[in-house]
Amino acid sequence: MAPLLEAISIGKTYPGGTVANDGVNLSVSAGEVHAVVGENGAGKSTLMKILFGIEQPDRGEIRLDGKVVSFANPREAIDHGIGMVFQHFSLVPSFSVYENVVLGSEPRNGIKFDRREAIEKVRALSEKFRLAVDPLPPVGQLPVGQQQRVEILKALYRDARILILDEPTAVLAPQEVEELFVAVRALVAQGRTVIFIAHKLPEVLEISDRITVMRGGKTVGSVNARDVTEESLATMMVGREIALRVERAKGRGELACEVKALKLTAESGVTIAQDLNLKVHSGEILGLVGVEGNGQAELLEAIAGLRPLADGVIYLNGTSLGPKSVLERRELGLASIPEDRIARGLATGSTIAENLVATRLADKRFVRNGLLDLKAIKANALSLIERFSIRSGGPGYAAGTLSGGNMQKVVVARELSEQPKLLLVNQPTRGVDLGATQFIWKSLTDARDGGAAVLLSSADLSELLALSDRLIVFYRGKIVAAFVNSDDLTAETLGTYMLGLSSQDPESMRAALQ
Amino acid sequence: MIELLVTVFSATFFVTVVRTTTPLLFAALGGLISDLSGALNVALEGMMLIAALTAVIVSVYAPWYVAVLSGVAAGAMLGALMAFFHLRLKADIILVGFAVNILATGGTVFALSRATGGDKGTSINLPSKAVPAVDLSFLEAIPAVGPTLKSLLSGHSILSWLGVFMVFAVWYFLFRTPYGLWLRGVGEYPAAPEAAGIPVAKVRAWSLVASGALAGIGGAQLAMFNYIGFTRDMTAGRGFIALGAVLLGARHPVGAMLAALLFGIFEALAVVMPNLFNWIPGEMIQTIPFVVTVLALILFSYRAQRARQMRTLSKI
Repeated sequence: MAPLLEAISIGKTYPGGTVANDGVNLSVSAGEVHAVVGENGAGKSTLMKILFGIEQPDRGEIRLDGKVVSFANPREAIDHGIGMVFQHFSLVPSFSVYENVVLGSEPRNGIKFDRREAIEKVRALSEKFRLAVDPLPPVGQLPVGQQQRVEILKALYRDARILILDEPTAVLAPQEVEELFVAVRALVAQGRTVIFIAHKLPEVLEISDRITVMRGGKTVGSVNARDVTEESLATMMVGREIALRVERAKGRGELACEVKALKLTAESGVTIAQDLNLKVHSGEILGLVGVEGNGQAELLEAIAGLRPLADGVIYLNGTSLGPKSVLERRELGLASIPEDRIARGLATGSTIAENLVATRLADKRFVRNGLLDLKAIKANALSLIERFSIRSGGPGYAAGTLSGGNMQKVVVARELSEQPKLLLVNQPTRGVDLGATQFIWKSLTDARDGGAAVLLSSADLSELLALSDRLIVFYRGKIVAAFVNSDDLTAETLGTYMLGLSSQDPESMRAALQ
Repeated sequence: MIELLVTVFSATFFVTVVRTTTPLLFAALGGLISDLSGALNVALEGMMLIAALTAVIVSVYAPWYVAVLSGVAAGAMLGALMAFFHLRLKADIILVGFAVNILATGGTVFALSRATGGDKGTSINLPSKAVPAVDLSFLEAIPAVGPTLKSLLSGHSILSWLGVFMVFAVWYFLFRTPYGLWLRGVGEYPAAPEAAGIPVAKVRAWSLVASGALAGIGGAQLAMFNYIGFTRDMTAGRGFIALGAVLLGARHPVGAMLAALLFGIFEALAVVMPNLFNWIPGEMIQTIPFVVTVLALILFSYRAQRARQMRTLSKI
């Protein structure tokens, strides 16, 4: 059968010399779910932007139904029946669901926006494709999974035959992923074609018919989903065997950090989290599980000293952290890898060397008589760049020029250059490629083996399951379950607690909280 | 004090309020449109000033409506100028706005002196025209309420009536037409309309043009009705008060009208008070509208903050 959409030897070089696509081929047949996988920076997003008209290729051609087409902007791609759902949703928060769906192609009645027809069309679409959403509430009030459905409806409203989903599962809880897959299957059953960008391999294998693997701006190959395994795909993606397995802790040490009856409130006075009680021992990793926005991030901020405590106490090796400043906490051996490396982890305009000593300006080695010791700072940077294999132009380059994975390594290098006693980690590998992920995981377990107590929060359940020795689940600002990690513990089990669908009996929770 | 109350509750005071409110209303509607499109127009002041002078000079040679239209055109062109610098050349919108204001302060004085042959203060020696007042004397014939209706409704500038209509028109545009939806979407979250194929920059540019045109009507009303003729810096901060009215009016046309009315009332008070309280220095009285603006905005942001807290509390 002739392919529906083809991209033939696409080349794209960004101003600045980054070669994003170099001879990329993609061939998608009608009515299939076609996954495009690859590490971050492999060129998937660029390829999709070209298919959707956001970027124009320097070389190569796109064929739709066998005819050569070129899209100067997304509008033209939409007119040709291509729709795209981005990872960051393009929805106006205060607009209702139906307003968002029809925005840009509104049904009209004279010069008037025909609201009734818009609502009816959206209802009809959501029934037809099994994407249940109420058209009336403002999208800002909907959970992420529903917002994603609104995005898909938007594309379908514009008669998309081909739907590109850019990392659609990254923001979803496991149950929501299942619902998405139901919708994707419904789409394909009704003759639509889905291109699915992803890097979580189990999901890719579950949903797709064919898989195209990209690496370093090139296509490595296309395979049928049923012919490959997770391992062989991973090898294709990275180009070498990689083991995403880590050693568990050998045994835990003394109690390092204890949180007692902690309550956190937002500036508006709303309670974010309450009744938080937990203990972390040195030499163990405690995973904080929960859909984002259930209090995990705020707990880490509170321990780091970035958020006041409304009530309760936090002890680090017997010292109450409450009255201590951020700097004093760091002197007690606290280190923190924050969620957002660009906004909070780094000063992107400053050099790598400066970033690497930013938390140590009281240190006599780097600052003498109130003046920076540039030579020592540079030497420090060179040794850390070596030790953490940060790929960069050198210590004098701005941190913002690095790729996501290398930026994150700079943060990790700074926080782990001295062995911490308590390490707070939030989303350590978000938007980081597999190679760097492997390295960062290794760094975290090394810190743990060196005697750090680690609190780890991540949106990626497989990461939490791979690294944690114990896990606690947050739901609406409370700890609702606790587990000692084992091979029997699955993402699905955690998911039911994350969504508040099941609750744990107090006995087993208490046992796992110790 | 009694005298003040008597004055305030007279029909003449009401007519004064409508007069002082009209320029503020147009400027506030203009500010509202550009603010909702995501471009804060701080140049309302300068746009009004330039439009006022343009209207005055044109009215010497042409009928009043041509003069008003030329004021509108002047405002719209300044809006287009801002759009060019902000959207094409990527200059900061606030800085561009202030540049227009500075241009207006100096440029109007320069143009005024050229037009009048050397007078840098007023256009008193130019025979400029006025916007006609709408005479509704026939209302008097209605039994009982006739005379009151006449004294309340007759004698307003034709532009004041246009202003009331514009409140409705702007509301209808913003909340009942697809383009209004586009405009609000562009202002709130530009990535969404962009992904839907809506030309974001174009929407903003037209909003700025419309904003300038509305401010231009305000300027024409000021120099062709509230005062006949141009005086240097005659807008006296009205453009900024109008911006305050946009916020105070909760970014809604009707709200903006009510806020403009509030500021108009205090401006009218500043007009009538010197006659009643000659022991208060005139300058003190003239500060009233500005003090009220500041107080109103403080109160507004305090209440908005409280409302946010209540909202989040009730959600939990």
